Amino acid sequence: MESRSNARILVWLAAAALAVFVALQLVNPRLYSPPVTAELQAPAEVKRILKTSCFSCHSNEPQLLWFDRIAPASWLVASDVYEARRHLNFSEIGKLPAAQQKAALYEAVNMIQLDAMPLKSYTLMHPQARVSPEDLAVLKDYLHPAESVTAPDEAMKATADAQYTAWIHAGAAPLTVQPAPNGIAYMPDYKNWKVIATTNRFDNKTLRVIFGNDVAVKAIAEHHTNPWPDGTTFAKAAWFQQVDDSGETKIGAFFQVEFMTKDARKYASTEGWGFSRWRGADLKPYGKNAAFTNECTGCHAPLRHNDYVYTFPIAGQQ
Amino acid sequence: MKTYRKALFVVCVSAIVSLAGCSNKPVASTINEQATLTGPLPYNPLAWRVITSSVNEHKATMSTLYGNDVAVAYARANEGRPYPSGSVIALVTWSQRDDPHWFGARIAANAQAVEFVSFPSAAGVSPAYERYEGAPLARVAANEGDVKRIDYLVSQRAAVTP
Repeated sequence: MESRSNARILVWLAAAALAVFVALQLVNPRLYSPPVTAELQAPAEVKRILKTSCFSCHSNEPQLLWFDRIAPASWLVASDVYEARRHLNFSEIGKLPAAQQKAALYEAVNMIQLDAMPLKSYTLMHPQARVSPEDLAVLKDYLHPAESVTAPDEAMKATADAQYTAWIHAGAAPLTVQPAPNGIAYMPDYKNWKVIATTNRFDNKTLRVIFGNDVAVKAIAEHHTNPWPDGTTFAKAAWFQQVDDSGETKIGAFFQVEFMTKDARKYASTEGWGFSRWRGADLKPYGKNAAFTNECTGCHAPLRHNDYVYTFPIAGQQ
Repeated sequence: MKTYRKALFVVCVSAIVSLAGCSNKPVASTINEQATLTGPLPYNPLAWRVITSSVNEHKATMSTLYGNDVAVAYARANEGRPYPSGSVIALVTWSQRDDPHWFGARIAANAQAVEFVSFPSAAGVSPAYERYEGAPLARVAANEGDVKRIDYLVSQRAAVTP
């Protein structure tokens, strides 16, 4: 008697669950895909890899499998695709200036190399989207062919020379610099901090010097760099590359300086780091509003096991 | 039944694997050990401030020019040379390697050479040059190329640091 009423309850519950499931399909917010307006221009082999591994989320041509179309999974798929397109959309990337397109591709390759993309949650259900080491090599060769060497550029040299002359004669009078949109004030003293690393970037033709404040330098000396202590600040200054007649790459015009300041509590919403950046010799704060830090945290996320820091610091400043 | 069990197994294993991927495992420090300056040097340039930095793509090297306080203050406010007396500048040259964290970046590998140019306090005395090479860094005997190197180091202008 009792087992029969239990069975009845089970049947009702199953029927109710089925009804809810069917109802969910009706409120299914359909993934809207606008037309392909400016697709990436790239060799067929490069496109094949990107189509297989990236286009499902990062384009207006999602290749959805049957289980991607069923609610509630489909809701997750739709919100993931919308977010992915905001970061990078291969169906509209052609609208961006060439340099920005290249930067986006370099970032994509790096997210693949750092194993951050395609998302683990995606490749679990779509294993064919994984990028093989051979395919990653194809993407790298496309972006940076082995023989590429930068040539001297007279116009850039003139810009750099003018900027240097203005700067050297300006004296020590500090510029009035607006704070970053998230409230972080400019730190003009970075230039007097110790150098902890230098890099040259062939992806965006810049030279970089990474400075560390006293807390950072002490942390390096004590090997306490994961996590970095509160109070650590890094400054990364970037200049355009200036190739001279002897083929040497010199520091050219100042491009930007960006900072990471560690305060696990104060900056908890941005992984414990306060991000800020100023561009141009006139030091214009970067970002339309405080949400500019989404760019920073997005790019630094793959380094979560390294306290979100890309730099390999050199020791021995003390 | 068998397929059901198999599916359940796959789901459980995947869940464990994906959770493991999110764990905060401690990672060894990323100090660039191979770029450390080893060997006895008259000054530690890394303790000084930067004047500028450069790269030689053909030689796959990168160099940073440092200066003591007198030299840096002068280089950041004057186009003209020579440096005032008491100035010491140092050029550290590293071989390069690909940045394991970023395709598109090159970082320092082993230190190849450290060069010093010091400006004496007495007028009319030419600046002194010292060159250290190898691992560990060791003093290289003076040779006829030194004059050119002094000119090269001294002629480098400061990076714009607003």
